[in-house]
Amino acid sequence: MSPRPASFSVLKEQVREPGFAGMAVAMAGQPLHEIGPAGAGFEAAALGFTLALAASWAGPAGVFWAGEDAAFAEEGAPYPVGLAQYGLALDRLIVARAKKREDALWAAEQALAATGAIVICALGGQGKPLDLKASRRLLLFAERHRSRCLLLMPASGPSAAWTRWRIAAAESNAAADELGPPAFRAELTRNRSGQAGSAFTLDWNAHERSFVERVQEKHVAVFHAQARQA
Amino acid sequence: MSDTRWLALYLPHISTDRLIRAGRAPSDDRPFAVYTKEKGAFQLKGVDARASKLGLSLAMSLADARAMQPTLEAVEAEPEEDARALDNIAAWCERFTPIVVLDPPEGLFLDISGCAHLFDGEESLRAEIVTRLRAQGFGARAAIASTPGAAWAFARHRKMRAPIDDDAKSLAALPIEALRLDGDASALMRRLGLKTVSQIAAAPRSSFTARAGERAMLRLDQALGRAAEVLTPRRPAPMVFALRRFLEPIFTSDVILQVTEDLCGDAAEKLERRGAGIVYAELVLFGVDGRDRVVAVNVSRPLREVKPLMRLFREKLSIAAENFDAQFGFEAARLDVVRLAPIEERARTLVSVEEAAASSEQIGGIIDILSSRLGAKRVVRPNLHDEHAPERASGWRAALGKCDDMKAVRPPADGVLRRPVRLFSPAQIIEVMASVPDGPPIRFRWRRVMRDVVRAEGPERISGDWQRHEMTRDYYRVEDRHGRRYWLYREGLYGESEAIPRWFVHGLFA
Repeated sequence: MSPRPASFSVLKEQVREPGFAGMAVAMAGQPLHEIGPAGAGFEAAALGFTLALAASWAGPAGVFWAGEDAAFAEEGAPYPVGLAQYGLALDRLIVARAKKREDALWAAEQALAATGAIVICALGGQGKPLDLKASRRLLLFAERHRSRCLLLMPASGPSAAWTRWRIAAAESNAAADELGPPAFRAELTRNRSGQAGSAFTLDWNAHERSFVERVQEKHVAVFHAQARQA
Repeated sequence: MSDTRWLALYLPHISTDRLIRAGRAPSDDRPFAVYTKEKGAFQLKGVDARASKLGLSLAMSLADARAMQPTLEAVEAEPEEDARALDNIAAWCERFTPIVVLDPPEGLFLDISGCAHLFDGEESLRAEIVTRLRAQGFGARAAIASTPGAAWAFARHRKMRAPIDDDAKSLAALPIEALRLDGDASALMRRLGLKTVSQIAAAPRSSFTARAGERAMLRLDQALGRAAEVLTPRRPAPMVFALRRFLEPIFTSDVILQVTEDLCGDAAEKLERRGAGIVYAELVLFGVDGRDRVVAVNVSRPLREVKPLMRLFREKLSIAAENFDAQFGFEAARLDVVRLAPIEERARTLVSVEEAAASSEQIGGIIDILSSRLGAKRVVRPNLHDEHAPERASGWRAALGKCDDMKAVRPPADGVLRRPVRLFSPAQIIEVMASVPDGPPIRFRWRRVMRDVVRAEGPERISGDWQRHEMTRDYYRVEDRHGRRYWLYREGLYGESEAIPRWFVHGLFA
């Protein structure tokens, strides 16, 4: 189903809430973000959201993907053909695998020294949540070198991250019996520069390397609210 | 004549010394020998110093030797063990120079060109090697000359201890056997009346038509440096090396780091003259206990500056030091530049203050440091192959080393992502509960969870490599009711065999 044409009330609604596009612009200027699955079984979706952010931000310095073995083993190994289709530039992608969490964090810190780089730091589900100190270090490294870090991990404690996202998969936005582009239900559970709690349904356009927000649900919400008022 | 200097080491009793050291020889005063069976007779293969003094030699049969010295103790020779002992001694000798050549069964050549000054001159280097080998139970003799041949001759046949001024003159006085000929050839020379090297040197060349004579002439020419001799070192000779030895053994990591930095500085100086940088280098630390520890660094682009090199070594040493077990400390250290590559001297361009992105040098440096701590196999770049099978269509290779340009892969314009971002290797088997014939599953169980397929696309048929006995696969992209997407395949064509076809999940779409 194609999105309905925006009516006046919907436009008003979008002005009040900037939507994901505005959020994405604000995010891109911040050095550290944390992303995790919204529940068991959504690890692939959380990774997809992370990779999409990395692909849309990546510049000449490319993407470093530093992770614990545990973060690579469970859900299968990164697959270059699929990553290229997803929008990542293979000639500017470096993957570093570490046996231990400390080594993965160390590798991420080292990679953040590359000016302008996007560094994905993927941690496994085992062990304690990351301590505040470790995430502060990542933040400092990223700030110092004008690089950005995407911290991908299932559990979460206190953190220096600018935003925290919980990601689930979303149903394909396509004709019945077809699979559409990668789709997410992204919930902003922490936001240091504004309100948290908003959720977005997003499709990933790999070719344009950009997110497309599905506004349809908002239409429903807005019209529903008007109907009640009436 | 070139300024190469060779030290020949001669271990006349290596096979018996080895057994005596291992406590496998008679402990009393009896002479001791080893023998092998040759042409049906037992022949002496090695005699210890005592037996040698009593007149026993390698030319004798065991029976004759026993007749001469009834107290002789003899055991069967173990040539492989002897070779291993010689190799161990050669490895130990590498603390004096990286270029050590095995000269079995009982000799070594050390290229000490440019090394002797580190040991207070040639004579004290020679004396140190001999004394320390004796202390370890190996009788040794050594001599230094400008060629391996001359050094070999002096080590074995020169009686005088006076220093050698003139290789040719000293060589002339030696017996014919000093020319490294086999037994038959030197026997022939003796029958011809040629007993000393000087007689060979004086004899007219044309008269030497026999092969033995030619061989003797060649050996003489080699000993005098008139003919080239190519020797193969035990380990490939480094292109450039720097060596330091210490008056007192060193222990602490701070001192080791300081020494490493000095060695890097030394090597950098030599590399600068060659216009080259390090690609692969090994730091060898020689323990007082006779064992050496090697720490290697790999660099993605040739490097000569001490600071980035030290960053790599510091990282490596901090890991390696745990396993050093160097309770007696190290007595010497050497940096071997095993592989080098030219450094392109580029004009340094002015870099703007707001440098937008890391330079490739900066990225190369990060790759180096990641590889040195995590291991080169754990720091990788993607690689595409021209292969049909999904699991072979791409892979990962070490990011270190030359980076060949990868063709840019654009995401498909139709927005359909046909390959997952993660691939299981091997594919994981799933239990299909319901399916339409020749179609995708309707329900399947994976990781003990039942999943209902709400959308599916396919099949994409990928034929297996018949040489690998692979079956054709029909791939489907399916989505469950939570929006999770899987890459499934059925093995074999539908109805191809009586057996129920097997289903797998090969990857996950993000």
